[in-house]
Amino acid sequence: MKNFKFLIALWKANLQAAMEFRSAFLTQVIFMMVNNGAYFMFWVLYFDKFKAVQGWTLQDMMLLYGIAATAWGTAAYFFGHFTTLAEVITQGRLDYYLSLPKPVLLHVLASRSIGSGMGDIIYGIGSFIISGYLTADGVLRFAIAVFTGVCIFISFLTIIQSLSFWLGNTVALSQIALSAVLTFSLYPSALFNASTKFVLLTIIPAALIGSVPAEFVRAFTWQSPLQISAGAFVFLLLAVTIFHSGLRKYESGSAIQVEV
Amino acid sequence: MTSIEVHDLHKVFQTKRKAAGLGASVRALFKPEYREVEAVRQLSFQMESGELLGFIGPNGAGKSTTIKMLTGILHPTGGDAKVLGYVPWKERQKLAFHIGTVFGQRPQLWYHLPAIDTFTLFGKIYELDDRETKKRIDFLTEAFEIRDLLETPVRKLSLGQRMRCEVAASLLHRPKLILLDEPSIGLDVVAKQHIRDAIRRMNQEEGVGVLLTSHDAGDLEALCKRVIIINHGQIVYEDKVSNLKRKHLTSKLVEVRYAQEVPANFHLDGVEVLKVGRYGVKLRFDTAHTSVDKVMAHLSSVGDLVDITISDPPLEEVIAKIYREAPTRMSRRE
Repeated sequence: MKNFKFLIALWKANLQAAMEFRSAFLTQVIFMMVNNGAYFMFWVLYFDKFKAVQGWTLQDMMLLYGIAATAWGTAAYFFGHFTTLAEVITQGRLDYYLSLPKPVLLHVLASRSIGSGMGDIIYGIGSFIISGYLTADGVLRFAIAVFTGVCIFISFLTIIQSLSFWLGNTVALSQIALSAVLTFSLYPSALFNASTKFVLLTIIPAALIGSVPAEFVRAFTWQSPLQISAGAFVFLLLAVTIFHSGLRKYESGSAIQVEV
Repeated sequence: MTSIEVHDLHKVFQTKRKAAGLGASVRALFKPEYREVEAVRQLSFQMESGELLGFIGPNGAGKSTTIKMLTGILHPTGGDAKVLGYVPWKERQKLAFHIGTVFGQRPQLWYHLPAIDTFTLFGKIYELDDRETKKRIDFLTEAFEIRDLLETPVRKLSLGQRMRCEVAASLLHRPKLILLDEPSIGLDVVAKQHIRDAIRRMNQEEGVGVLLTSHDAGDLEALCKRVIIINHGQIVYEDKVSNLKRKHLTSKLVEVRYAQEVPANFHLDGVEVLKVGRYGVKLRFDTAHTSVDKVMAHLSSVGDLVDITISDPPLEEVIAKIYREAPTRMSRRE
């Protein structure tokens, strides 16, 4: 409960910092919504020619985009350092978080807010609403899908970036991992063969963020919620364990820093 | 009561070695070479509750590494330490509720927000209730004279103003001990004075212990009762500041101005003549070997004195001398 109060205070401070530059914040939000819309135009044009791909229709793709964009946006807006953790580690910026009496991983992740994430959230929810799955049951399943998606996005990138404790600078590797998981989360796994599906369910868990949760919202089976819940739990556990093992290797640094 | 106990604390960093040039960079990619750097070597010391202890040393001496181990930021390679009864790297969160930290090069105030917003956030981080946070902010704004600065975004404050707010923020939760790592770095004389006054006041009024690292001997003179000087990760001197002065500030600097011209061959046995001008001389002598009376008598005999100034050499010179002698010497308080 105390940590939740602390998170609320941290998010409030992030919002206050964003409001210092209101125009920049609003511009980011609007441009991200436009960007997502333009990207989705590909599928609109595709489904204009073909009715479905491996059983997936335009409505299903809207649902898939809705889940992935909302999950990404929520992670980016509320836990923005999940994309820049490697830089924080290699530049010795964990000192600030380690000198304060709060769980260090939670503190560092929630200390940054990416303004464009709010654009993703608005776009994602809008996409879900117009996808045709807006029922009471659908909203609940959508919320569960987004929650597990947020956990997996953050955990996966935390694991990759925590390698910085051992390997030094993994910023470039993290960028590749980020692009891979985000790109593949926007495609139905039905498009891929068995070995690729296996990779997308384990090593790069993109299918656990987009495709499997979308199937869970489309039609309830016990398999898909179990898959995404187990995936979220395992990745979260791995992320926390690897990050804390790495902390023992943390070397700090002497660069001059500011906390924004 | 002891607030810090350090025994044989040791920290080794592994750093990559690479010769200059692109070829060496490519070779290092396939066959990296590492060397071990001992940042802190078997360091042992104690600090009493409410004490003002200076931790002085040149750049790279191991001051910051020691502070980071004592706050739980870094894990040591070996040795033991207890800060307020906690092992810092094992009980970091519990310890953080009782200590304050200020890193001169690592601001903790949010750059784009007014300081008051970070103070409020720190209230939540340290789990203070809102009324207590407000009361404490009121007290600290008065103690540090920062009332007019609180609502200005931190990015618009001067370095001195910002550091006053930084130190005040570190005291929000009434810590028993604050660890200040180079708090006066880059500050002008007035700003340094402000910070020193406020720290002294918090020590006297609230009994807060202060462990201060600095390479500014002025901080040491103004604030600390005891000093530990470290170099190459080892303690090279540990004593009261007053003893340091008594034992090592034995030489005097004298500047004299005369009504008449000074003879060009001005000389006095046991006295080092630093400069001879047309109407004045600058001398240095060691009081252990040459008496003040003898020097004064000779200076008066040369001509009519217009002005005379006798001063101690700067403490920086004394400390620099201790650094230079460090490898062959391990002086400890007796």
